[in-house]
Amino acid sequence: MHDFNVPFRSRREVLTQLGSGFGGLALAALCGDLTPASHATDAAQHGLRLRSPHYEPRAKAVIQLFMHGGPSQVDLLDPKPELSRLDGKSPPAEVADDENRTTYLMGSPFKFSKHGQSGLEFSEVLPGIASHADDIAVVRSMFTEHRNHEQAIWMANTGLIVSGRPNIGSWVAYGLGAENQNLPAYVALPDPGGMPVDGARNWSSGWLPPLYQGTAIRSEGMPVLHLQPKTARAAEIDQGRMDLLRQLNNRHRQTRPGELELDARIASFELAARMQLTASDALDLNQETAETQKLYGLDQPKTRSYGKRCLMARRLIERGVRFVQLFMAGQPWDTHSSNTAGTRSCCEQTDLPVAGLLTDLKQRGLLDSTLIHWGGEFGRTPGAEQRADNKTRGNEGRDHHPYGFSVWLAGGGIRGGQAYGATDDFGYRSIINRTQTSDLHATILHLLGLDHEKLTFAHNGRDERLTDVYKAHVIKDLLA
Amino acid sequence: MTFGVGSMEPGMDMQAVKIAINNRVGDLLPMIVVLLLASQTALADDAKKKITFDDHVLPILKARCVKCHAGAEPEQGLRLTSIRELLRGGMSGPAIRINAAESSLLWEKLASNAMPKGGPVLSAEEKGLIRAWINDGASSEAIVDDMEAKDQAGGGASEHWSFRPPVRPAIPGVQNGLRVRNAVDSFVLAALEAKGLSLSPDASREVLLRRASFDLIGLPPSPEEVREFLADQDEFAYERMIDRLLASPHYGERWARHWLDLAGYADSAGVLSEDRPLPTAYKFRDYVIRAFNGDKPYDRFLQEQLAGDELSDYWTAHETLDRLPDEVIEAITATGYLRCAADSSRPDFTTIKNADAQYFYPTINDTLQIVSSSTMGLTLQCARCHSHKFDPIPQTEYYRLQAVFMSALRPRQWIAQMDRRLQVATASQKKAADELNAKLNAEVARLRKELADLRAVHKQKLFDDRLATLPEVLRADVKTAFGKPVDQRTEVDKYLIEKFTAQLQPDDKTLDKLLPETYPDYRTGVDQRNADIAAQERQRVHFDEIRALYDLPGPVTTPLLRRGDALTPGAPVEPGVLSALTTPASFQWTPPAAEAKTSGRRLAFARWLTQPDHPLTSRVMANRIWLQHFGEGLVSTPEDFGTLGAAPSHPQLLDWLAREFVHSGWSIKHMHRLIMTSSAYRQRSTLDEATQATSLQLDADNRLLWRQRVRRVDAEPLRDAMLSVAGLLDQRLFGSPVPVARRGDGEVNVADGQNDRRRSIYVQVLRGNPLTMLQSHDQPVMETNCTRRSRSTVSTQALTLLNSDAAVAYSLAFADRALRESAESPVHFTALAALSREPTAEELKIYHEFITQQQGRHVARGAQPDAARRLALADLCHMLLASNEFVYLD
Repeated sequence: MHDFNVPFRSRREVLTQLGSGFGGLALAALCGDLTPASHATDAAQHGLRLRSPHYEPRAKAVIQLFMHGGPSQVDLLDPKPELSRLDGKSPPAEVADDENRTTYLMGSPFKFSKHGQSGLEFSEVLPGIASHADDIAVVRSMFTEHRNHEQAIWMANTGLIVSGRPNIGSWVAYGLGAENQNLPAYVALPDPGGMPVDGARNWSSGWLPPLYQGTAIRSEGMPVLHLQPKTARAAEIDQGRMDLLRQLNNRHRQTRPGELELDARIASFELAARMQLTASDALDLNQETAETQKLYGLDQPKTRSYGKRCLMARRLIERGVRFVQLFMAGQPWDTHSSNTAGTRSCCEQTDLPVAGLLTDLKQRGLLDSTLIHWGGEFGRTPGAEQRADNKTRGNEGRDHHPYGFSVWLAGGGIRGGQAYGATDDFGYRSIINRTQTSDLHATILHLLGLDHEKLTFAHNGRDERLTDVYKAHVIKDLLA
Repeated sequence: MTFGVGSMEPGMDMQAVKIAINNRVGDLLPMIVVLLLASQTALADDAKKKITFDDHVLPILKARCVKCHAGAEPEQGLRLTSIRELLRGGMSGPAIRINAAESSLLWEKLASNAMPKGGPVLSAEEKGLIRAWINDGASSEAIVDDMEAKDQAGGGASEHWSFRPPVRPAIPGVQNGLRVRNAVDSFVLAALEAKGLSLSPDASREVLLRRASFDLIGLPPSPEEVREFLADQDEFAYERMIDRLLASPHYGERWARHWLDLAGYADSAGVLSEDRPLPTAYKFRDYVIRAFNGDKPYDRFLQEQLAGDELSDYWTAHETLDRLPDEVIEAITATGYLRCAADSSRPDFTTIKNADAQYFYPTINDTLQIVSSSTMGLTLQCARCHSHKFDPIPQTEYYRLQAVFMSALRPRQWIAQMDRRLQVATASQKKAADELNAKLNAEVARLRKELADLRAVHKQKLFDDRLATLPEVLRADVKTAFGKPVDQRTEVDKYLIEKFTAQLQPDDKTLDKLLPETYPDYRTGVDQRNADIAAQERQRVHFDEIRALYDLPGPVTTPLLRRGDALTPGAPVEPGVLSALTTPASFQWTPPAAEAKTSGRRLAFARWLTQPDHPLTSRVMANRIWLQHFGEGLVSTPEDFGTLGAAPSHPQLLDWLAREFVHSGWSIKHMHRLIMTSSAYRQRSTLDEATQATSLQLDADNRLLWRQRVRRVDAEPLRDAMLSVAGLLDQRLFGSPVPVARRGDGEVNVADGQNDRRRSIYVQVLRGNPLTMLQSHDQPVMETNCTRRSRSTVSTQALTLLNSDAAVAYSLAFADRALRESAESPVHFTALAALSREPTAEELKIYHEFITQQQGRHVARGAQPDAARRLALADLCHMLLASNEFVYLD
């Protein structure tokens, strides 16, 4: 539970009823404790306090570039000469595939080289991201607990391999609220080409109140669901309706003084009306210069889609959104077949826009306060997976791999130009500075000024937290 | 194959092996577990590389590790001298997880060369052996484990108030006896008076009607009902109104929803992305609706859900009767309660490594969570991993409770969710059906063969007939070409075939059309046989299916799982209950005979749970009923009656209600009647000028109930009320869920072409795709279950109510209804229908002025005057539906 001194009951009521998904602060202050019969005495006081961080934050916002499907660590971020040397050979016993899913070791088809002053190594298919080497910390020692997509996605984003828990974005929204009253605190940017695997659960608030759920914003068509009716209303007609509603609600409220929940609901309708303007403005990419659009690859067919979402992400965090998650349709990194071609294709769609995002944030002085998190739910096997259609050399796939994989972080309080932790010589198992998901979560929360042990929510008789019962550590080596 | 004991004979199937080994468990001392680690994937490799602990692993450990990790005070408390010690582990937990080297501490230390400390690292070969041994199931001739005595001991009876049986308290005296309508009031008023407070006056009749109507049936009263009730001068008009609502079939629809939240009901299996729909899950939902409508005694209701199969003696009926009696069908339908936990399993999952730990145990854990939170208001999941820190619930007892369900939910003999169902049929019916269907299959096969033959004959006939139409010079060559095997065809043959195939040997699709057109006898022959097949299929016997829970035969062990981890099993436990609870009747269970079809474990548990003096069962339910009438429970944490839960605001009232509940024969409707006829319930929610200052000062949170609470209408009744007011509601009960679909823009709606006018309880609950309008109004995401709904106020609610297609459609329908049913005063009608009260003159003036102005705006935008008036009325309707007065109950 948050560290503030109000009685158990009213704390819980505040948590479940306060504020608005589109901006907690003003409404929180406005509404306070919304138990129907209770009073504003402690409410206004606690509305703000419960959303201040536990300590001085390094980052104000997070942009999570979620790489659904599990990008191959040995082809992108974790060079393994030994794997290449033994290409085509059977693996030694200590890294033999424990489920007999792969046949022989497979070196990366891609060349790695050193970048920046730090000399951090990246694969040739990530030239754009590599150009930011000195701002990037690669965590090469991640491991997770499941080798099936959904469970691993839940692990990566909700902290456990079970379904139904809040995503990290919801925890952040719950912990910090939004800076902008007219935009959601937590935004998901799905691919207009299709939902990611596990669909809308990727931004669910689980058992946290729905007010902390991610708002899916579309980069094509109407950005936010129900922002406008299907058949548009003329402004004066809409105005007439809203004036009437205001009148009805005010009359109702007059005879029920002190019912703050009624006030909160009135305010939520006002916010909804304001949203229609602010959201459209926030997402209007035409306000960007041609140069900026080019930086994100909006001028090229391959990069246009992901680039738009990267650019939207910048515009959103610029306006005070706390947590923005970018998704791709399906799970493109799931390269069971043709790992080489599949990985290359994913990089061609995303590398340039991500690099553009980093460049743009840096130019605007936003990178220091924005944490970028790139990664998937697990990695891929160092061994070759052979399926019926992909047995020829060069066309093999790689299978899911939970024991060792890489993610990277940049900006917002991260010490760039380093590789943290290591896998064995084959990229099979994380062996040095092993990093569990909860360590990563604790670190991300820490950078936002939140203590993962204090950010709790009472649910079913238990104080739940993102890191659950794990002994999680903030990874100090990653901090600037 | 790596089993704890015995050897496997070639050809023995897995099931037989498991049972054989299970049977041997019974021979061993109770404190000894034989770990049954059946890894099907390892089966093939068994012969060629059998790595054993004693032959391969122990020698390495002895040579390299036991210098520190053995003896009385081993490093980190960890001894590496036996499998038992490895599993028990040291200060950092178990050293190995069976079948999972990569997450085993021992392997972590060896792989990273952190161990052996100070010595040379293990060779690659040594590492490989240890890793492979763990991954192959950590086999040895026998893995035995004796738990420490303290882990096995029960916690013993607790003094916590809710863990001791409720005693019917004396009804307290009060000063202002005039306000006492029944005992409820005596308790509430006594507590108020002790603080110098008093009850607020009764609310107006309109308010009472609307409040009672939403509380009991989840729908607003109709305009006629409002008028009738206001005109009813009878002294007992209010009581009769309550009785009418309790007798309504819609009562069950509203109150089933509360129970389905607790049961975690959904129409999809959940867990994985595919979120497979469960087409027959709704039968449990309908059972719950019927149970509430019929006021099924709550003890019976629980017994049926926990053990309906055993209670109704399903297996005897199945084996001996001609057909299943209705009460048996009802009882096995009730066990759908134990099938609500999300379960993604498919039959092929048993081949996944550690599938029990990864897929099956989570379903078992959720089931236990559902049972304990819904029936006892207890959260047990802490005790899954360690003895509960706050409540006196030792870890062992979690697994004892789990053992109650283990004869049905067997993680090592898991039945995939789609296969876990019962046919509504007896053995004799099934036998007769099988015989009939077998005959029928043979007949259908014969007919299909005839169809195929007929087609072949006519295909050839077509070829010959058309060949005859070709120029004479070509015929012989063409015929020869088509007759040749493919590899003997010359270039000329190929040319001819290419040229004439379309004409002489058209593709199947063309033939489907061509043959009947060309040959009437073919058409007749085909039609006749298809009709015959259809006639046969009509005779096929299909049995209805029920998603039920039932035991599997044969013994089963329930190991305690160290740290809740299925890969570090400990000693087995016997079925049992929580020793912290004081119950006059103990849990009575004896193991059944070997040939028994069902173990009786669940029935024993159900009887223990529903004994009249159970400390939690009656209190928890009485509190939930209270919660739905006052917006908050007497215990404000209905999901937690443990030591961390809230203390009751009126402890004596709660106990009195609990005793009254049992005394009434566990009648839920009796409880409604009792609570709703009290003065406490009938109070105003608005403040009283005269007393508000004192009341607010003395009890700002209204914990003592000096007034009713203003409550927001839940998601489902909100949608239902809009449908009802708009005149759209389809009032039919029961049946298959109305399918939902996600649109391109992300909104989840009733699927196109489906009935979008039914009550929300009949709308399909897909765990991954909740209906947008309901979800935005706090309908819970059904992952495990929902013990208490959260209530948020979010702008998405406003956007949904203002702009969704559904809300726009409801408003128009509402306006049309008003014009249809009250052509002379539609405005008055809309206000009455939406707000369940007569509008005041001042309000009518506001509405009419709005209509006039808004009509003008629509006309200015090009609408005809009549159309503009309709649109303006729809705007009024829409704003009434979106208004606070519509969404809140006084």
